[in-house]
Amino acid sequence: MFSPALEALVDALRCLPGVGPKSAQRMALHLLERDREGAQVLALALGEAAERVGRCQRCRNLTEAPVCAICEDPRREAAVLCVVETPADVLAIEQAGGYRGRYFVLMGHLSPIDGIGPEDIGLDRLQTLVQEQGVEEVILATNPTAEGEATAWYLTDLLAADGVRMSRIAHGVPLGGELEYVDGNTLMHAFSGRLPVSR
Amino acid sequence: MQASLQPAYLLHRRPYRESSQLLELFTAEHGRVGVVARGLRRRSRGGSPGALLQPFSPLLVGLVGRGELKTLAGVESGGGLAPLRGDALLSGLYVNELLVRLLHRDDPQPAVFASYATVLGALADAAPVEPALRRFEGELLEALGYAFALDHDALAGTPVEATRRYIFEPGVGLRAQRPGAAGTSFAGEDLLRAAAGDFTGSAGRAAKGILRSALRELLGERPLRSRQLFLRRRERSREGS
Repeated sequence: MFSPALEALVDALRCLPGVGPKSAQRMALHLLERDREGAQVLALALGEAAERVGRCQRCRNLTEAPVCAICEDPRREAAVLCVVETPADVLAIEQAGGYRGRYFVLMGHLSPIDGIGPEDIGLDRLQTLVQEQGVEEVILATNPTAEGEATAWYLTDLLAADGVRMSRIAHGVPLGGELEYVDGNTLMHAFSGRLPVSR
Repeated sequence: MQASLQPAYLLHRRPYRESSQLLELFTAEHGRVGVVARGLRRRSRGGSPGALLQPFSPLLVGLVGRGELKTLAGVESGGGLAPLRGDALLSGLYVNELLVRLLHRDDPQPAVFASYATVLGALADAAPVEPALRRFEGELLEALGYAFALDHDALAGTPVEATRRYIFEPGVGLRAQRPGAAGTSFAGEDLLRAAAGDFTGSAGRAAKGILRSALRELLGERPLRSRQLFLRRRERSREGS
């Protein structure tokens, strides 16, 4: 129906999450009909990023430098390390603000059924990092799913001998939420993790 | 179409398309089923379905569709169970991996379902992990048609004697070890204790060895990943001591 080049573009766009044949076609036509310049910019940016972006040697986050900007920043506390599952989690925490330590990005979680073991998520690297870079506290910010919890537990066990302080982020009722709308599992977590209040 | 709710557990889930998930459910009526769950990020009274759908917690699910992949029409909590922690959590992942590897889809397994509920209950209660796992492994093998008796010499057809040593042959069962023969063997005394449900000490180790080689036969070449989590931890604790 389309010319080969257009066909190839539509096919290529379908690799994006949530993009089916129809949306891919719409995107391709938009780029070619109305926004040639945007198409050039996109092509250049894509090529550049796919070519140059790799992993930070320290924290495994995505970066085109050998060591990412957060790890290079001297104002960030090197003694506090936050372990997260994905680069998107780093962005979420950074946008929330308030955290001044560094990160370690696992790029996944332990998931035996998917065949993902400790070395697939760089846990040996993490252990070396903790031992060699004077990390004093590790904040386990993996997701509150069974696999995220299992990863946190495995890490707790792995780093126990290294004498670092380990903490797990709290799970509970979201701000502005209503108890009635919170599921039972979360409520149970919120109760077992309750904090003393004082005047 | 309203689907009636049936008891189920979530074995595994992975993202599918934009906001959907591909679930691996273990249901009481249909055994292991593959299910698509759409729009799990919505919020509703009593909690979002996404938060309810966690492994190891009893669920009530409604399923629609005839093909291999069903669609999730509804999910409710099937009663609270304390979340698994620590070693119990790793054991839970092991049990789930066993079920995903050994159960066929759409093959009802009511006995395994009951055993699964029991082992999860024991793990949630922080009961000793190993005996609960041994019991589950034995019941799973039995339900899959690979039952063998720990107190019976399958070759001679006689009861196991406490003073003799026995070897285990997958597919056959236990048989008395010939005097002077090499290979892994188990003391009759341990086997009798394990058969009586006592999995402490050497009886537990014997049962573990036997169940493991029976399961290995069914699992084939590809090893269980969750077991590797335990192996590596054990190596470390040995290095440390």
